[in-house]
Amino acid sequence: MDELTKEFLAESQEGLDRMERCLTDLETRPGDAGLLGEIFRAVHTIKGTTGFLGFDRLEKLAHAGEHLLGSLRDGRLVVTSDLISGLLRLMDGLRAILALIEETGGEGTRSGDEDGELIAELALLNGEMPPEDIDPNLLHAVVDVGETVAIVPAAEDASKISGMSSPPASAAGNSERSAAGNDKTLRIDVDILNRMMNLVGELVLTRNQMLQSDRAAANFPELARRLDSVTADLRETVMQARMQPVGNLFGKFPRMVRDLARTCSRDVRLEYTGQETGLDKSLLEAIKDPLTHAVRNAVDHGIEAPADRVLAGKPAQGCVRLRAFHQAGSVVIEVADDGTGIATERVLAKAIERNLINAEQAAGMSERETLQLIFLPGFSTAAAVTTVSGRGVGMDVVRANVEKVGGSVEVESRRGEGTTLRLRVPLTLAIVPSLVVRSGGQSFALPQSALVELVDIPQREYARVVQQIGSAELYRLRDRLLPMVWLDRLLDLGTNHAEPSHGHYMAVLEADGCRYGLVVDDLMSPEEIVVKPLSPVLREIGLFSGATVLGNGTLALILDIGATAARAGVKPIEEENTETGVGKAAIPEAASESFLIYEDRARERAALPLNMVERIESVALERIEYVGGRPLLQYRGELLALKDQGNVLPELEAAREQGSEAQATVLICGGSGFGHERRVGIVVRQVLDVSAGTLIERNAGGEEQLELALVKEKLTLIRREFDVSPKTAWQEVA
Amino acid sequence: MKIEGCNNADEVQEKDAVSLCSLFAGEETFGIDTRKIREVLGESGFERVPMSPEFIAGVVPYRGEVLTAVNLRALLGMEASSGACCVLVIEDDEAAERFGLVVDSVGGVVTVSRRALETNPCTLGARGKWLFDGAYKMDGGLMVRLNPQRLCPSRLSETGLFRKSANGGTDASPDRR
Repeated sequence: MDELTKEFLAESQEGLDRMERCLTDLETRPGDAGLLGEIFRAVHTIKGTTGFLGFDRLEKLAHAGEHLLGSLRDGRLVVTSDLISGLLRLMDGLRAILALIEETGGEGTRSGDEDGELIAELALLNGEMPPEDIDPNLLHAVVDVGETVAIVPAAEDASKISGMSSPPASAAGNSERSAAGNDKTLRIDVDILNRMMNLVGELVLTRNQMLQSDRAAANFPELARRLDSVTADLRETVMQARMQPVGNLFGKFPRMVRDLARTCSRDVRLEYTGQETGLDKSLLEAIKDPLTHAVRNAVDHGIEAPADRVLAGKPAQGCVRLRAFHQAGSVVIEVADDGTGIATERVLAKAIERNLINAEQAAGMSERETLQLIFLPGFSTAAAVTTVSGRGVGMDVVRANVEKVGGSVEVESRRGEGTTLRLRVPLTLAIVPSLVVRSGGQSFALPQSALVELVDIPQREYARVVQQIGSAELYRLRDRLLPMVWLDRLLDLGTNHAEPSHGHYMAVLEADGCRYGLVVDDLMSPEEIVVKPLSPVLREIGLFSGATVLGNGTLALILDIGATAARAGVKPIEEENTETGVGKAAIPEAASESFLIYEDRARERAALPLNMVERIESVALERIEYVGGRPLLQYRGELLALKDQGNVLPELEAAREQGSEAQATVLICGGSGFGHERRVGIVVRQVLDVSAGTLIERNAGGEEQLELALVKEKLTLIRREFDVSPKTAWQEVA
Repeated sequence: MKIEGCNNADEVQEKDAVSLCSLFAGEETFGIDTRKIREVLGESGFERVPMSPEFIAGVVPYRGEVLTAVNLRALLGMEASSGACCVLVIEDDEAAERFGLVVDSVGGVVTVSRRALETNPCTLGARGKWLFDGAYKMDGGLMVRLNPQRLCPSRLSETGLFRKSANGGTDASPDRR
């Protein structure tokens, strides 16, 4: 296939993808001329280019479509459901031919008759008589097609629905094939490509220099550093090039939801946000199927029939929301519906019936644990489950697929209000920052994302800090008991207890809602590791998510934190039981945030929202200058107005006169990044803590906006507004 | 690497000739078709994988990939060797998979006639029947021909023959002594 054809194929696919999005939008906004123009252009471009390339069959079909779209654009036709269906079929037809060209290099004539039918149908929609030269049998078929289309929206007869169910299926097949075509090509910003080329050039130069200088040369460390930075830059640029907006994936759903909603007679609206969120191309491919499945489930089982919804006091039109956003180094994609939710007691009953759990276990299960049951492999097989529980078909497959790429799946459900499925995937597959540890003479890599903190347990303190309940060992970490898991015992590594004197290290890990301490012999360096997949036999063990070659050339296995917890029997923490969890879990996000707590006036606690504080500086008192009675600080080439609400400065001044060393603690706040024009310094007596708190009172009156909050069960004043003095007052000094 | 058996290459007719790589495990000599061998890594280090099946020696880094290595001694039900070992990289065309094979040592390339191949004896145990393709009658004794495809780790685990080697697995040894 020549270059021109290839380019044409890629371009046409893109055009059709755009057209697909626009078509479903058009149904909701029939009068939008911009959308129509877009669709028209896509078809027109195909028609124009095909004539030039000599694909007659494609040209004919595109021409018929263009004709119809032309009438639509001129306002001679109105947008109806049938019309949209016809146009969607036109798109499928075009896709099928494109796929054929891609496969064979020619457009073929195998299914030529279908085209005739489709063209005639389009003509019929255009309100014209079919052309004379079409044979009467065909005409008959056309009328049939027209009838089916006309009947479906009106009647929900089962036979008609089964008739309708085939087009979505074939559409899915087509889009899969077209997706395969898109796999091979990728559009990259030329700037990124240029940057890559520059970096490669630099890499070559550094290599040359390295080859010329020997290891003992004085500039060798510097060269190594340069190599390091060039590699890091290059890596980042390549990653950036691989990033694709999630919207590319979301774009497929409006059509799917539309077809599906018609087949199962639901009224569903699809909303999405965050489509610009970038995700590695390979990951995007990996989550495509699970996400499709989740959306299908939401429409099929989540959303109730319109009549039921009205009875339940909800609007007849259901809503499926797709949301993508970044969170802590991973991308979260949510599929939320406002349907019935999952009936937990039914889930339990089913699980008991299928012998997945026994009645005793069921009684002790929390709601969260119960919802996890739907991910069990045995749970999903029966079709009957879907009708009672709302969800369940192939949820284990969804989870398996997402976990394969290092992600996780969560489900949240409220009876009568809906279900939210949350897919969490890492930003990129290839490189993971991790900590290398040693246990039983072997190296293991722990992904940094799961690592909470590291604890050193010296041998002499061992007995004090490690407590036992039966045979289980627990570590008392800030008055919370943490289950300890010994990596060498868990993995059955032959350990030598020859040197018990040096103590142990414990990595506090958190995954899948489980928190535990993993005890290892030694901590090595933190390293950015390149993940290599393991063979299926080793994947079956289930404890390792991959392997990697370390900087010293040896291999290390990458530990799957969640699976390790499960193997060791660590259960997810019940949020109600945890001390700090109460604030976080029970109160909606808006009311709970992190605060930096400090003391300004004596014996009074005040707090600032943590995200407003940029730095905490300790400043020698001499550096604080006064202009017009206002304290100012020269800070990084900027003049900071200092706010001293607690009269700390005069006190410190007095202390200095008595000869003691005086340092003022200043919180650097605000800055342009936080919606403030200028940074402000706040002088405080001392910084106390960082904690989550709950607002209890909001008092807008008075000269200053006052808010009270409970932070660590103590009354705290929240400051948000700094009344920055008019800029001109002190700007002239600078 | 010393080339053995090249002197009798003249006797072996071209079309019948098969070139095998000879390798050793315990007292026995085995042969694998050289076309299936990508590379002999020599005494390269491999990392053990905890909780893996017994016949898995560990993982080996090989040209940017991490390969699973199968331990021939464990397959044959022999004691784990304490001495040096050698890792071969074998390619399975069908499964498009590469894997490592850990043996005691590698001899060299031997050219033998196809006609010298004897089929497996019917008294051979199930494991042996799985692993071996027959044996060549050599001057110094028998060289057992291994079936490289069946050494592939995923196939080994599928058969279930090697799941537990608690029973010693001596039935895999070609000639019990």
